[in-house]
Amino acid sequence: PTDGDDGLGIDREVPIGERKRRQPIAKLDSTLLTGPKGIPKLRSIAKKQLKFRGKGHEFSDTARLLNMYQLWLDELFPKAKFEDGLVMVEKLGHSKSVQSARKQWIDEERYGTSA
Amino acid sequence: MEIDDSRPSTVDPEVRAYVYSLVTALGGSSAELDGRYVLGDDALAVLKDLRRWLKHVDEKLNRFDVARSMAEANLLRGDLLQILASFPENIPEGGLKFKVALACLDLMVTLTWPLDIDDAQMTVGHHRHTPYLQLAQAGYKRAILGHDTTQILRTIVQITIPSMAQPRNERNTRDEDIIRLALYFFRNVVQIAHPADLPMDGEEAEISRSATIDTFADQDIFPFLLTIASSMGSEFVQQDVITLEILFHLLRGINPAKLFMEEQQLAKSNTKDFRDLLQKEKSMLSEYARHAPTRHNRFGAMVWVKRADNRMSTVSGQDVLGNSQRTLNKMDKSKKWNKPKQRSRKTGDDGAEFDVETPLSPSARNHLRSFIEDFLDSSFNPLFVQLRKAIEREADRVLKSHTSQFFYLISWFLKAECARREKKSAKSKGKTVAEEDEGFSLVASVLNQETFILLNRFMQSGVDNKMNIDVNAGMKCFTQILLTIQQMAESSNEDDQDIADNIQNRIFYEESTHDRIIRLVRSYKDQGFGYLDACTELAHVFIRMLEHYSKQNADLQIRSKRRARRKKKEKRKEKQANSGEDGNQEEDPQEDSEEEEEQDALQTTKERKFDFMRFSARFVNENCINTFIAFTKFYHELDAQQLKRAHRFFYRAAFKLEQSVLLFRADIIRLFHRMIEGPNGLDRQHASFKEWKELVKNVLRKLIKKVEERPELIVEILFSKMSPTLYYLQHGYDREVPKSV
Repeated sequence: PTDGDDGLGIDREVPIGERKRRQPIAKLDSTLLTGPKGIPKLRSIAKKQLKFRGKGHEFSDTARLLNMYQLWLDELFPKAKFEDGLVMVEKLGHSKSVQSARKQWIDEERYGTSA
Repeated sequence: MEIDDSRPSTVDPEVRAYVYSLVTALGGSSAELDGRYVLGDDALAVLKDLRRWLKHVDEKLNRFDVARSMAEANLLRGDLLQILASFPENIPEGGLKFKVALACLDLMVTLTWPLDIDDAQMTVGHHRHTPYLQLAQAGYKRAILGHDTTQILRTIVQITIPSMAQPRNERNTRDEDIIRLALYFFRNVVQIAHPADLPMDGEEAEISRSATIDTFADQDIFPFLLTIASSMGSEFVQQDVITLEILFHLLRGINPAKLFMEEQQLAKSNTKDFRDLLQKEKSMLSEYARHAPTRHNRFGAMVWVKRADNRMSTVSGQDVLGNSQRTLNKMDKSKKWNKPKQRSRKTGDDGAEFDVETPLSPSARNHLRSFIEDFLDSSFNPLFVQLRKAIEREADRVLKSHTSQFFYLISWFLKAECARREKKSAKSKGKTVAEEDEGFSLVASVLNQETFILLNRFMQSGVDNKMNIDVNAGMKCFTQILLTIQQMAESSNEDDQDIADNIQNRIFYEESTHDRIIRLVRSYKDQGFGYLDACTELAHVFIRMLEHYSKQNADLQIRSKRRARRKKKEKRKEKQANSGEDGNQEEDPQEDSEEEEEQDALQTTKERKFDFMRFSARFVNENCINTFIAFTKFYHELDAQQLKRAHRFFYRAAFKLEQSVLLFRADIIRLFHRMIEGPNGLDRQHASFKEWKELVKNVLRKLIKKVEERPELIVEILFSKMSPTLYYLQHGYDREVPKSV
């Protein structure tokens, strides 16, 4: 023993690092919804993947549609169950910013994609 | 005595000591006379003292201490009932025994009085004693109904007979008081039930509604009630609201349609109910079996779901193998977080008063049916006319709750009358139709303009003050009136048809009625299922009858207010245009207001042609659809009739009025899809499954087509639609707005 230490390092001070704070979970709000992970992504998914089989397959087509929403919502806001998520999204739809975005999307589809 | 001291002092020990000593002084079973009850020397004075204690301590100081001590001392069962039982049959009026009996009745009424107190006035003492007293009251009721030697209720009636026998103008206050006491006593006895928040101990059958009705029939209380109700307004006036209360507590929750079923028919309907339940269970089990694991629970299969961007999610359990839909469902189910729900303000027994069904035993049903038949034949009109007048006059004795009870009972009796007619007509079909029925005159007193006005006012104030119970009762009443009128219109009697036509005309004439019904449906927000059921039924019945009626009477006029206002504006505009340039604007406001007054007078006489399409279109908006969706969410509990109601509404919305876009919302689509395809879907054997499947299929077909046509719907499905774009989404082009110059 050189400096009176018992060699086990009990007396040595251990630096206690700042406990890492968890990254806050993103809230489901209008910025998230209109952001790149939100509805724009949903639109591109729908364009790419959504195919219907048409008459006679109403139920399976609808199931496909609903599954698309479910997976999209799970990606966007994994915490919430599908049903809860739908309610939250619907509620956000009443806010001014989302409404103006919605109008824009409708117009885009209607008059061809604008830049 | 030591035991008493060690007990935590729930009651002021001094109060308890006084009360106990009084109860002891009242009397007791004698050692000499085979244990019969013997009155104490000063029994009458003691009874009066006890009454004074209740009044001056409990009532004045706002406590329950005395009542509790009396319950602990077993006063009612051990003394009061014994005293009444020890008296001979007909107690001569004016004697000591009569006075004692009266004092006993007085005490019993106070002890059995309902315990509901305003939340604001509840004290610590109240909270401490209420559960005990509730149980004690249940015990009182048991003792009163099931007294083994004497018919207590009959004894009470006997006490009142001398007072009742006197003509009204010769009765003095004391006579009126005696009658009132007896009626209050019956009200209390009927009203006491096993406290809902305390556990059942198997004895509640002795104080159930069936037991009460049986006892009432055995001890001839029904004839007593009929006597009072049938001469209501002439011989009896003050007693109307108490009679109302007795009837209300006696009848609430009882299904009048079942009451009038034949024994066999009822057995059949019960069997059917049972079969339905079995079927429900079977389908539930088979639903489970379809998804149940086929191997033991530690078999440990795991599935991954490949997602966009090459990411994976894993789901465990063999039940998810081979079915992607189930995998997704399980993924969703395993999430732990629930959206925090806004707790609606608990208002206690919202609707529980009206909407909990009470079953009856066969004997009680028979007793009650014969009473109801007699009541309809003899007493309905006099009693309800008198009540209506009292309510209109806002008499002192009418409390707030009475009005809603009044309307609830109207709906109940109308339903009962309809059930009785049906039964009669079914019977007479086999035989001859010679028996001329007496028309609807038996219930005519509630089918007049005065009642409609009162009902309208009552509903309006209920809506304005957000009194859900009131609105609920009003809606039930209005629905039942409409149904009765419909039956009248279909009856073979020409007079009835004329009257029905007339009434319909009057009901549908007011535009404010139409508006109110729309408003009721629109404004539903977690008021409970009973309310939801009532408002959807009202809307359903109203729309259907109005459609029928407006078809028959092509030029139906309605009284409208809005028209006049618009004209006023136009006129004002004209005026301004005329006089605006002259610069003498100071005169204008005056003239305007004059004009307004004139217009106000004119307003009420404005009439316009009724357009059913326009009216029904007003039901198709986001709010009404939300209401009906909230209703449909209960599809597991709804019966065929209720499901049909929702079906008709959605059918009308989506196809007759072509507003299917409003249904294209993710939660609605999901609900519809789940109802048909599961999991936990509508039972496939259900009577209205086929209809619903057809409807859902058509809606979904439209949805898929629309989504393909207009990809913007992919986004819009998530939201409530915005009114400017709604028209475009539905039709693919903007509405051409007629431009006004």
